[in-house]
Amino acid sequence: MGSCWSDGSHGGGGMVGVGGTSSSAATANDALSFSASSLRDGDVISKSDAMVVVYSKGRDGTLAELFRSEVVLNSLNPKWIRKFTIGYQFEIVQTLLFRVYDIDTQFQNSKEEMLRLDEQQFLGEATCTLSEIITKSNRTIALELKRKEGAAAQTQSHNNGKLVVHAEESLASKTTTEIVFRCLNLESKDHFSKSDPFLVISKIVEHGNPIPVSKTEVLKNDANPLWKPVFLSVQQVGSKESPLVIECLDFNGNGNHNLIGKVQKSLSDLEKLHLSGQGINLFLPTGVGHKHEDRVLKSQLFVDKFTETVQHTFLEYLASGFELNFMVAIDFTASNGNPRLPDSLHYIDPTGRLNAYQRAIVEVGEVLQFYDYDKRFPAWGFGARPIDIPVSHCFNLNGSSTYCEVDGIQGIMNAYNGALFNVSFAGPTLFGPVINAAATIASESLAQNARKYYVLLIITDGVITDLQETKDALVSASDLPLSILIVGVGGADYKEMEVLDGDKGERLESSSGRVASRDIVQFVALRDIQYGEVSVVEALLAELPSQFLTYMKNRNITP
Amino acid sequence: MTKTLEIDIRSAEGLKVNRRLIKRKTFAVVKIGDKSRISNLDESGESNPTWNHKSEITIDSCSNSGKQFIFIEVFYRTGSGRNKKIGEAKIPATDFMGRYSPEGHLNILSYRLRDEYGDKCGIVNVSIMVKPGSTEAIKDYGACSSQVRTESPSIDGYGGRIVTGVPVYCVIQRQS
Repeated sequence: MGSCWSDGSHGGGGMVGVGGTSSSAATANDALSFSASSLRDGDVISKSDAMVVVYSKGRDGTLAELFRSEVVLNSLNPKWIRKFTIGYQFEIVQTLLFRVYDIDTQFQNSKEEMLRLDEQQFLGEATCTLSEIITKSNRTIALELKRKEGAAAQTQSHNNGKLVVHAEESLASKTTTEIVFRCLNLESKDHFSKSDPFLVISKIVEHGNPIPVSKTEVLKNDANPLWKPVFLSVQQVGSKESPLVIECLDFNGNGNHNLIGKVQKSLSDLEKLHLSGQGINLFLPTGVGHKHEDRVLKSQLFVDKFTETVQHTFLEYLASGFELNFMVAIDFTASNGNPRLPDSLHYIDPTGRLNAYQRAIVEVGEVLQFYDYDKRFPAWGFGARPIDIPVSHCFNLNGSSTYCEVDGIQGIMNAYNGALFNVSFAGPTLFGPVINAAATIASESLAQNARKYYVLLIITDGVITDLQETKDALVSASDLPLSILIVGVGGADYKEMEVLDGDKGERLESSSGRVASRDIVQFVALRDIQYGEVSVVEALLAELPSQFLTYMKNRNITP
Repeated sequence: MTKTLEIDIRSAEGLKVNRRLIKRKTFAVVKIGDKSRISNLDESGESNPTWNHKSEITIDSCSNSGKQFIFIEVFYRTGSGRNKKIGEAKIPATDFMGRYSPEGHLNILSYRLRDEYGDKCGIVNVSIMVKPGSTEAIKDYGACSSQVRTESPSIDGYGGRIVTGVPVYCVIQRQS
C-alpha cells in the first residue's frame, strides 16, 4: 500500500461541525478513517490511485465539501491514513456523502486541495448519516459504492467496490468537568428578603438565543450562595474554549425569574478562575435599544472546584447497543379548531406544507428514528372522541383497539391523517393518561433488563387542566428510563407548563409526598423559536443526553 | 409472604428546624412496623447530609391490614447529646413493589419530609430494591388478592385508607 500526501499533517486539522447552527469552535469529537476494497480499475496500465472526498448533504440536497483524503497510489484496496474529524451533534441529522476519485498521474504531485475533481475519474459514491456509523457496535460501516448515472447503476453497482468508514471517538470529548460555583454579595431582587438564586449555564450558538445546558438548584433567601456541583461534558458545550453564558437568576414562583447578573466565560476561563481563587464581577445589561450598556455589579462569582474526569459519554452507550424508543402523543382537543378550516392548527394543507403538529413529529422523529431499532413507534391521541367511544385521553392513533404501534415516521403521519377525520374533537387537555401509558411501556422493559430508553413527544396546543395529576404521573415516572419532550404549538400562555420542566425551579412533588427523582421533562413553546434560527429539535433534545446519562450514572449502568 | 428489601438511605437536602436550615449532625431511621434500622451520624453537621447507609429489612407484602408503609425519620443531635426529630416521610409500598417496579430493580426515590406540625422540612433520598427470590412459599393465595391492583388513576400510593362507596338509590326512580 503506497501512500502519498503532501504535508504529512492529518487528523486535527479539520475542525468542522455539520449543521448550520453549530458553534464555530465545535470540538472534533469523531475521527473518521476510510478504507476501500475492490475498487474499479481506472487506469489502463496500473491500478487506481484513489482519493476520498467527503461532503455534507443538507436537507435540500445541497452539498458542501468538508474533507479530502490523501491519494493512495496503485491500489484497488486502499487504506487512507488521513482522518476526517467531525463534531457529532445528537440533535441534528448529519448526512454525509463520500465520493472516491481516481487521480490522474499528471496531478499526483500537487496538493490534494488544489485538485479539480471534474478532471479526475469518478469511481463511485456512497451516502449515510453520522449516527448510522456511530451506533454500530464496532463503529464501522461498509457502504456499496455507486455510480452517479442512475440508468446503468444496476449492472455496474456490484463492480464498484465498497467503502468502509470507521469512527473513533476522541478522548477530549469524554471529559466531564465537575464545577462548584459560589457567589458573594448578590443583590436582592425582592423587597423584603434576599434573593432565591440559581445559575443557568448556556452555550452560545451562531444564530439565536443561547441554549441552556445545565443549571444549579435553587437556594432560598441567600445572598452568598454555594450551590451543589454542576456537571458539564465538553461534548455538550462544544469545546473547552466555547463561550458560555452563566446567568444568576432570582427564582420566582410564577416562572418569571429576574436576572440578577451574568458573565460570559469558557470552561478554560472557569478553570483559570478556580486556580487563581479570584472572583469575577457579574454584570447586568441595562438600557434598551441604542443605549444598551452593561452595568458592572458588586456581586461576584467564584469557582470553588473544577475537576475533570473521563466519563462514559452518551455516544458510548448508543454504540454499545442502547436503543432510544420514540413515542408520540397528539392533542386533539377542540381548541385546535376545525381541521377542515385553514386557521386550525390541525389543518392539512393541500399544497403539502406541514402544519405545526406534522413538523414537530417529522423533525423530532427524523433524529430519533436512527436510534430505534425496530422503527415501531407507539402513537396516541388525547382529548377527543373516537367513533363509538366516549372521550378518551389516550387512544391509539392507528385506530386499533389492541396495539398502539405504527411503522416508521410515515406510519405516524398516516395514522395522524386517518385519526384527524375520524374523531370528534373534545377536551379537556389532560396529560396524565398518556404519561402513564408511556411509563407502563418503559417499566415493562425494566423487567426484561432491556437496554432501552424511551422518549415521549407530546404535542399540545393548550395549557393542561390536570396539573396535579400530571405532576403525580411525572413523579411516578421519574425513576424510569423515560424522558418527556413537550412542544407547545399555537399561541397559548404556557407559564404554568414551564413549572413541569425542572429547569425552571424546584423538584416536582406529587400529592402523596413523593418528590421526583430527576427532571425528565423538557418543554419548548414553538412560538419562542424563530424560524431558521435554533431549531425546535435542538432546543427539545439539548437536555436528552444529560437526562439519559443521569439515569445510567445513578444506577451504575455502564455501556 | 415476606420480602427482603435492600434499603440505602442516601442523603437529605434542605433539612430545616423552625423554618431555618440546621447546622447539626444528623442521622436517619428506617421503620417498618416495629423493625427499624438506624444510619450512621453525618459528621459534617450541615443541612445536606450524606449517609449512604445500606441495610436489609423484611416487609410483609401481603398483609391483610391494607397498605404498607415505610417510615423514614430524620433526627439531629443537640449540643447536649440528645436526639431530636426533624421530620418524617411516609413511603407507600406500592412505590417500590408493583406497577412500575419489578423485583430486583433498583428504585431511586425521593420524599418530602414533614415535621410534627405538617410543615415541609426537607427532602430525603433513598434507594430501595426488593431482593428477588426472597419470597417464602405462598401459603394462602386468598390473602394476596388484596395486593393486586389493576389499572388505576394516576395518583400513585396516595397514603390513606380504602373507602367503600355505597350506592344510594334515588327516590324518584321508584316512581318511574
